[in-house]
Amino acid sequence: MAENTAKLFDILGPVMIGPSSSHTAGVARISYLARKLFPYPFEKAKVSFYGSLARTYRGHGSDKAAAAGLLGIPPDDERLSNSLELAKEQKLDIEIVPEYNSPERYHPNTVVIELWGMGHYTRVRGASIGGGEIRIQSVNGYDVNLDGSLDALLIQHKDEVGVIAIISHILAANHFNIASVSSHRKDKGEEALLVIEVDGIVEPPVIMQIQELPSVREVVYIPSISSIGGN
Amino acid sequence: MNWKFTTSHELFDRVNESGLSFVDFLVAREAFYSSSKPELVRAEISRRIGITRASLDRGLSVPQRSFSGMTDAAAIKLKEGARWPVEDEFFRLALTYAVAVNEVNACGGKIIAFPTAGSCGIVPGVLWAYRDAREPELSPDSPRFQDAFIVASAVGILIAQRATLAGAEGGCQAECGAAAAMAAAGLASLLGEDPQGDLDAAALSLKNTLGLACDPVAGLVEVPCVKRNAFMASNALTAVSLIRAGVHSIIPFDEVVSAMKSIADSMPASIRESAEGGLAKTRTGEMYRAKIR
Repeated sequence: MAENTAKLFDILGPVMIGPSSSHTAGVARISYLARKLFPYPFEKAKVSFYGSLARTYRGHGSDKAAAAGLLGIPPDDERLSNSLELAKEQKLDIEIVPEYNSPERYHPNTVVIELWGMGHYTRVRGASIGGGEIRIQSVNGYDVNLDGSLDALLIQHKDEVGVIAIISHILAANHFNIASVSSHRKDKGEEALLVIEVDGIVEPPVIMQIQELPSVREVVYIPSISSIGGN
Repeated sequence: MNWKFTTSHELFDRVNESGLSFVDFLVAREAFYSSSKPELVRAEISRRIGITRASLDRGLSVPQRSFSGMTDAAAIKLKEGARWPVEDEFFRLALTYAVAVNEVNACGGKIIAFPTAGSCGIVPGVLWAYRDAREPELSPDSPRFQDAFIVASAVGILIAQRATLAGAEGGCQAECGAAAAMAAAGLASLLGEDPQGDLDAAALSLKNTLGLACDPVAGLVEVPCVKRNAFMASNALTAVSLIRAGVHSIIPFDEVVSAMKSIADSMPASIRESAEGGLAKTRTGEMYRAKIR
């Protein structure tokens, strides 16, 4: 946090459900974003806690925070405290697993969320890095680094010439300022992931336009944390 | 307009260049960074102050008991306690309110991390206690009451930018210690000190929390956090009492923050929120850890 742009609402905030900004609020945010980027109803969810979270998740209500996010309950909503009961009422299958052995590259406060539904699967790894701040570090096997401060598009596409240019053209034509672009591919010519962060809120028609491109397989839209409250 | 500063010295320069008052500069800066407008920032501050009051009222009316058993309605006991050695109402309310807000956090209620969850009772405890005990007619929506929260936040910004507000980096001096300094500054501003005086109060408070360990039992935000919120509220009251008597900090605020940073850098990891040292490693601490596992 030693940077010269600490903001007033970083200090007087976030608005959150206790007891821990890193173990409760951060987990709630990661889970909420993970749920948002899976555009289907889920049949099964698995939440794996690593590091400090594995050892202290019960006392910190990290399990409730994770379940709340999966139910679409924002991080500053008091229903978070009853999320496990709400999940049971809705007959949602949410498995909570503490993993005591953590891969070395994982941040000391890591949560992995896996979702299954309608024949689809997604896996999101997030780190809660303190004060409620988070980083989404991996989506479906692709390394990313999103802090949730901006709207982001994750675009899975065929690794072909010109795809990135066409997508940035669509965004420019719709007056979006691109804040960051990063491209991740598994192997040359195979599936690639384009991660674009933009200023402003991306509306569904723009996402549709990108989705309709022949070389695009899937577009996942991640709203910024400021748009979900609890900032 | 230049919004960047690290030291309080630079902050005062920016304020002077802007032609705005100290608090209006901070509100305008926030509006700039969040692409908002000053009046909307003010409205959001007001909403957040309202949330601190809701946490406080909850802690005073509903007994807060935690999953671990370590938090057990201390705020209600304080509220009903009749044997106070210091009978001053402001003092009593400050301690009681600070605990009330922090117990709500410990039990999974809604709070504002200010600056962190584990220290969230200190600033609201002190400022609401002053208002209730000394100026009950002061509207929570009045600019003067809001300004106290903004001045407190300014101290938090200055500490965040040059040192840290994370217990994992700087121990509890960075959390409850910072919150006490923020509360001291906020209270000084309510009492009519100018921003330099507010920071002087913050310096006095911060000097007296340097090196504080973060050694939470079982890694939970309860012991010593909840009761420490009361102790740190009284630290803020002491700092402002000295300032009001004309007793000032020999070491200026910016230098105290530098000292805090150097102490943070030399602190062992065992007392930086790892729950591997201090109170967490006592016999009773270990007993609680085993119990909740």
